[in-house]
Amino acid sequence: MGVYETDLPGVGRKFEIDVGDGAQLVVVIHNTGKREVFHKPSSEADAEKVFEASNQLSQTIGSILEGAKFQPVEVDHEGTMLPGETVLEWYNVGADSQLADRALGEGLVREDLDVLVVAIQRGDEIISSPGPETVVESGDTLVVIGSQGDVLAFEELVASEAVEE
Amino acid sequence: MAAETALLELGLLFAAVAFVGGIAGQIRQSVIPFYILAGILLGPAVAGRLGPYALEATPFVALGAELGIVFLLLFLGLEFNVDRLLADRRRMTRAGTIDLLNFGLGFLLGFGVFRAFVPAFFVAGAVYISSSAIITKSLIDLGWIANDEAGPMLGTLVFEDLVIAIYLVLAAGMVAGGTVTQAVQSILIAGGFILVLVVLAARGTALLERLLGTDSREFLVLRTLGVLVPVAGLGLTLGVSEAVVAFFVGMAFSSTDQVARIETLLEPLRDVFAAVFFFWIGVVTDPLVLLDVAGLVALAVAVTLPSKLLTGYLAGRVYDLGPRRSARVALGMTVRGEFTLIIASLAISGAGGPLAGAVGETISAFAVGYVLVMSVLGTTLMARSGPFERVATKFLGTATRL
Repeated sequence: MGVYETDLPGVGRKFEIDVGDGAQLVVVIHNTGKREVFHKPSSEADAEKVFEASNQLSQTIGSILEGAKFQPVEVDHEGTMLPGETVLEWYNVGADSQLADRALGEGLVREDLDVLVVAIQRGDEIISSPGPETVVESGDTLVVIGSQGDVLAFEELVASEAVEE
Repeated sequence: MAAETALLELGLLFAAVAFVGGIAGQIRQSVIPFYILAGILLGPAVAGRLGPYALEATPFVALGAELGIVFLLLFLGLEFNVDRLLADRRRMTRAGTIDLLNFGLGFLLGFGVFRAFVPAFFVAGAVYISSSAIITKSLIDLGWIANDEAGPMLGTLVFEDLVIAIYLVLAAGMVAGGTVTQAVQSILIAGGFILVLVVLAARGTALLERLLGTDSREFLVLRTLGVLVPVAGLGLTLGVSEAVVAFFVGMAFSSTDQVARIETLLEPLRDVFAAVFFFWIGVVTDPLVLLDVAGLVALAVAVTLPSKLLTGYLAGRVYDLGPRRSARVALGMTVRGEFTLIIASLAISGAGGPLAGAVGETISAFAVGYVLVMSVLGTTLMARSGPFERVATKFLGTATRL
């Protein structure tokens, strides 16, 4: 997905967003705060105005699109970026996960993996600051922080099934 | 004029511009020619000759017009961004340099008619500079702002703004001094004053930031005016065009964090005083002189309409646009407006000096007539661009590249 930003001297800024099939959504943000949204069926076509909105209204529309008011659960969430390179993520532990029914300190989490499990959500209960002896159950949600790479490695660990012994 | 009727006369001015502005909005035309025409009709030239009562260019109206110029150029400075110019300098400079052809042709035309350097220089500026205000508004009204043709149009306008800032310094110097030495002297003073201003602007951002950093909108407006108007006035006292000074003050403000708030808060003020300026220029324009220069206006339109179309089209090509969109750039750039009129007001102030005799008045009337034609013609061409786009596509490009 490409987003192109252009300066419009004396007017404001223009954002062109590729929306597939060569079509673009063009958002013009005026210096006055007004937003205009255009649709461009192809790169050669003229932009057709879809709607315009005030600063306030745009923010409402924007936060609805972002999912601030309603977020379907199945969506692949992307965690939250904290200042620096740190990522905050959460994972559901499935019944097949090799982490299920084992203590956190059982050596499955590699030593060099710098990921901290800061909390476990189990039903209505929150287990904060779990230690190495805390046993993970299937259905738990693990809240972890760490660098992007380490968190991704941890995700693989959560998703990987227990090997039959 | 009696003091008791001064308020009433000012009221009539505002009622008139409000009324004709509404008409312009109804028929989707630019307001500028309508404000001018209202001024001509209600001024001494028409109402004074035909009716019992006419509005005069009172000192208050003249001062209001001056404020209009200051605000117009302040906004140009606020929007002027050196980083932006540098970021896109290759295309902007190429499109802008091609556009200078219009200045050259205007100069030749002016020299051919007046046989003197200074009048030719004024004619050149008047026909060269396109109207940022009208073009930008038309771009938004027509929805072209979201298309690729907006790039070369706004880019060329930015280049023109820079040229006109330098131009006004030179032009103001020329009308200030009678002889060449005096002109050079006043240009040097102007240059020095602006240099001081630029250094202060570059060094004083923190100070301005502190000055303008207030939560109160009232204080922000008053402090902005408290810097802008005295500095512009000081410039004028020293023989520097107040317009140029306002431009540089705007540039100084543009590097503060308050620039967006200043623009929002001062926009209505700018529109009020700009309307007074356009009305005032109508009041001081005699339609009989306008008739005298009709031939010159027609000649200028015949020369500069095709040349602006050509340079505008080439600007589109510089930005890699196809014939259809380049044709739109060409049509849009033909609109002349507020800056041509600012040059007209400068010509009036130079009457009696180097623009001796009726030359100053003639040039001013020419500029007014030229704007009346080009603003209406240009806006109309933009609104009815379809046939021109088809012609351009047919003769200048292949069907695949729209």
